[in-house]
Amino acid sequence: MAQIAAQRYTGASIRRSEDPRLLTGRGRYVDDIKLPGMLHAAFVRSPLAHARVLSVDVCAARALPGVVAAFTGADLEAMTVPGPDALSTLMGAAGPTPEFTLLATDKVRFAGDPVAVVIAESRYLAEDGCELVEVDYDELPPVASADFALDPGSPPLFANLGDNIARSRSRNEFGDIAATFAGADRVYDFRIDVHRHQNVPMEGRGCVASYDPDLGVLTMHAATQSVHVAKIAVTMRLGMEPDKVRVLAGDIGGSFGLKIGASREELATAAASRALGRPVKWVEDRTENLTASGQAREESFNVRAAVSNDGDLLGLDVTMVIDTGSYPGMGGMVPAIIEAMLPGPYKLAALGFESVGVTTNKAPYVAYRGPWASETFVRERVLDLIAKDLGLDPLEIRLRNAAPRTDPPAVMLTGRPLAGVTTRESLERVAKLADIPAFRRRQAQARAQGRYLGIGVATFIEAAPGPRSPEGASGPMGSESMRLRLDEDGFVVLFTGQMPHGQSHQTTLAQIAADEFGVPFEQVRVVVGDTDVVPFGLTGGSRSATMTGGVTLHGARRLKAKVLDFASHLMEVSAMDLQITDGNVGVRGDPASAVAVSEIARQAASGEFGADVDARLEVEAVFDGGEGGWSGGSHCAVVEVDVETGIVTVERYVAVEDCGVLINPAVVEGQIRGGVAQGIGAVLLERSAYDADGNFQSATFMDYLLPTACDVPRIEIEHLQTVPLDADVNFRGVGEGGMIVAPPTIVNAIEDALSPFGVRIYEQHLPPARILELIATAGSAQPSGSAQPGRSAQPGGR
Amino acid sequence: MYPSRFRYEAPHTVAEAIRLLAAGGDNAKVLAGGQSLVPLMKLRFAAPELVVDINNLPGLSYHRADPDGTLRIGALCRHADLERSALLAGTQPTMAAAAPLIADPIVRNRGTLVGSLCHADPQGDWASVVLSLGGSVVAEGPDGRRSIPMTDFVTGPFQNLLAPDEIAVEAVIPAAQGERRGGYLKLERRVGDFATVGVAVSLETAGEVVRRAGIALTGVGASTIAASAAAAALTGHSLTAESIAAAASAAAEAARPRTDHRGSAEYKRHMVATFVERILTRCSAEPAERAA
Repeated sequence: MAQIAAQRYTGASIRRSEDPRLLTGRGRYVDDIKLPGMLHAAFVRSPLAHARVLSVDVCAARALPGVVAAFTGADLEAMTVPGPDALSTLMGAAGPTPEFTLLATDKVRFAGDPVAVVIAESRYLAEDGCELVEVDYDELPPVASADFALDPGSPPLFANLGDNIARSRSRNEFGDIAATFAGADRVYDFRIDVHRHQNVPMEGRGCVASYDPDLGVLTMHAATQSVHVAKIAVTMRLGMEPDKVRVLAGDIGGSFGLKIGASREELATAAASRALGRPVKWVEDRTENLTASGQAREESFNVRAAVSNDGDLLGLDVTMVIDTGSYPGMGGMVPAIIEAMLPGPYKLAALGFESVGVTTNKAPYVAYRGPWASETFVRERVLDLIAKDLGLDPLEIRLRNAAPRTDPPAVMLTGRPLAGVTTRESLERVAKLADIPAFRRRQAQARAQGRYLGIGVATFIEAAPGPRSPEGASGPMGSESMRLRLDEDGFVVLFTGQMPHGQSHQTTLAQIAADEFGVPFEQVRVVVGDTDVVPFGLTGGSRSATMTGGVTLHGARRLKAKVLDFASHLMEVSAMDLQITDGNVGVRGDPASAVAVSEIARQAASGEFGADVDARLEVEAVFDGGEGGWSGGSHCAVVEVDVETGIVTVERYVAVEDCGVLINPAVVEGQIRGGVAQGIGAVLLERSAYDADGNFQSATFMDYLLPTACDVPRIEIEHLQTVPLDADVNFRGVGEGGMIVAPPTIVNAIEDALSPFGVRIYEQHLPPARILELIATAGSAQPSGSAQPGRSAQPGGR
Repeated sequence: MYPSRFRYEAPHTVAEAIRLLAAGGDNAKVLAGGQSLVPLMKLRFAAPELVVDINNLPGLSYHRADPDGTLRIGALCRHADLERSALLAGTQPTMAAAAPLIADPIVRNRGTLVGSLCHADPQGDWASVVLSLGGSVVAEGPDGRRSIPMTDFVTGPFQNLLAPDEIAVEAVIPAAQGERRGGYLKLERRVGDFATVGVAVSLETAGEVVRRAGIALTGVGASTIAASAAAAALTGHSLTAESIAAAASAAAEAARPRTDHRGSAEYKRHMVATFVERILTRCSAEPAERAA
């Protein structure tokens, strides 16, 4: 295996070069941008979940001093080009496409749906103007649950669909379902629910759109995970040529999947700027963020599990219903990923998977850190439920079912090889770190004193990017490009389409490039966030460690070869005899020959070389992901439940993860800690709640509770770096795993704590009141497995 | 989340503040700590035309005890002052227990006890504490001062007895008849959450006998609830398992909770009984003026 040229920075917890600026308040976020003549947008939003819009009167708003314009849905429709959601198009979503406009015209489909936009000299005045907009609604019956949406009699949200089925029912089978279930000792039936919760970045959505009428160019300052995807959305919806749209992005205060492309509000802001010929800013407030930016995860699963008496999980037959909310987005794409990932690292013989997606009068479904995470929740919950019924230890049932690491690797039932997966190792290690036998003794002592402690283990794998497949590049969303250049100041400059919003690319990519090229870390500049200069790219899907780390490594290697080639002309030495160390080109073994790379770059730029010498010290690199690989790990939580109040305290949390070769351990650990904190929030606190009429109940931070430092314990992390697959690039993504595996880890621990009461848990959200209900109703819960050897399999069906 | 247009005044005397309020009528609001009013204005749930900021009024940030033990808390005394108060820690177990449970440290640095009473939020903690202690509010208006017992002060959710031209300048806790015991417990799903349920218990004891008891409930009704029957179950008795159980069950009966996303009515009622029992059990086990 080839090594990185000099492993000086890669693998070390180099301090983030972003931090001094961000931590001293000198970051530049969208809301920090102030342009001359800039106006402010505020949206009039529907108070109703489902209604026909009879009329929208903006006359009084337009007459308010300070208000420059007010646009209705019909106005915006005339100012833009109809079309589908840009992200859905990019991801190739299947199925019928709902027809809708940027602002509601014919009807509103969730409480918070934008109906009109007021543009004024200040946000204060814009909001004053919104209060003067009169909207006449004809209320329709709200479709506030997936069950009602499945009812053919429910009023369709989109007239052109005719019903509320957003993604039609489909079923796939892998292996022999009938034989597997017929041959099983036991068949279990569970219904498992995952509740609606959401991305809550510190900075919400927002943009400053600035149209220059003289040049006909629209410049958009965006908070986005990809300036290029945002640009595609703007060009499509505003009907502009690509060379007339430029999207810029500065610092971004988190996203977790929310800020992909450009939202309806952002597109409306851009259209308003073009119409008015002035810059317009829209920065969503927290109420808008919670109510209207998007939500995730509302999914239910009917699970049949075929199991042997020894605890072998032989088959799963799963029916999934996903509530995708009102407008199309990520929700339509999630079931296919869940299907592909459901076997996880386990050796299943058969899998049936059926899914249907519905539209409801709730905020749209957006990507949220590990959008397919429910597959891990379902699988890891089911294993614990089965283990309890069979009297097996949760660790034992996992080790028993985990596919062994073989050569060639075992193949997931759904197609991908489990190359380099270290589930067994991480499970054994986390169990050792948590010292489960010692915990069991402590648990018994505590129970004798009326205190209820529990321990939970869960494991996951994540395709970050996934193993190489015969069909093509292993990277999700294709290959990754980068432009690299040696500047005259001696800086290696990387132009990447990654759009960091907490991932630390400015640090980690510089570490790799510095090592591979041979300059100090401080002598690498990472350029992001400008469609005029960076190649296409998207930060998401935990792809950047492998894909961008890889293209950085290969690109720096090529740039170095080019620089040495040029230097060989200059220094009249064979390139073979030259090296770059610490920012200097020199002849091997002759330190006195060293010439600074800046000097080499200045010579190259001098124009004194003929056409036979390539003096352009710049390369464009593309990386297909190489051999790719899986990320994964096992987590363990210890909780205490106060059985009188229902309050759960997470006492200890241990994570053993394997994301291959670490670029920067501190950055990896930060990703895991953040994800686990969100997972703790998802189980104990966070819920995007709607009442039966579709009224949103969680529109403030007093209603949508986020975890604080008081709720998150110190998280102990250990790294495994077991299996190199690629000759050069063995970094794997780690952005989503914490949020994927923390919820089942915590729920498994809570169920363990409550095992003296016979509590069984089939859901993810466990606030204090729910804990007491579970204790009170224990024993009357779902039936456990039935031993029916002769029973014929009845796959799926609701 | 930007407020409507409003006029802002920051007078330097109580008399000037009262004049401004009188002129402003129903459309004027007093700003003390601003921890409730400002969020309401940002959400445009409140849109006063005039905000009278009383932070420039001199001499209102005190909390002190009279020689006879009467406790006085000025209108600009912050939650954080009470949280750090040696006076409260030594003499007012219920208040000392409640102060660190108010919202979060940021809110406690600005918010005031008197402001919390005036806001009359059914989920406000101080109203229960002051009610359990038999306290009152001193209001100052154009005609001078008057004292309003806490039992009368709150007239409904977010409503109080103050006239538009009156300012609540002080809260008063009467001196104890005997030794104080008591506590405040609050079920919050997370630090900074509003109370799902809060219970204030204030006892005044002579030896083992309870001479006066006050029990008040937060978050389980349209306004703060005085659980008088629960208090009566304790008065004249010592704290025994039986009297504690009787008080807990009477308090649960006094609660008028509603099912919402914080929990079912049944759950909240259960929490009232659990908290009354927990506080009284601690009171019975610990020396006076030290209980939770």
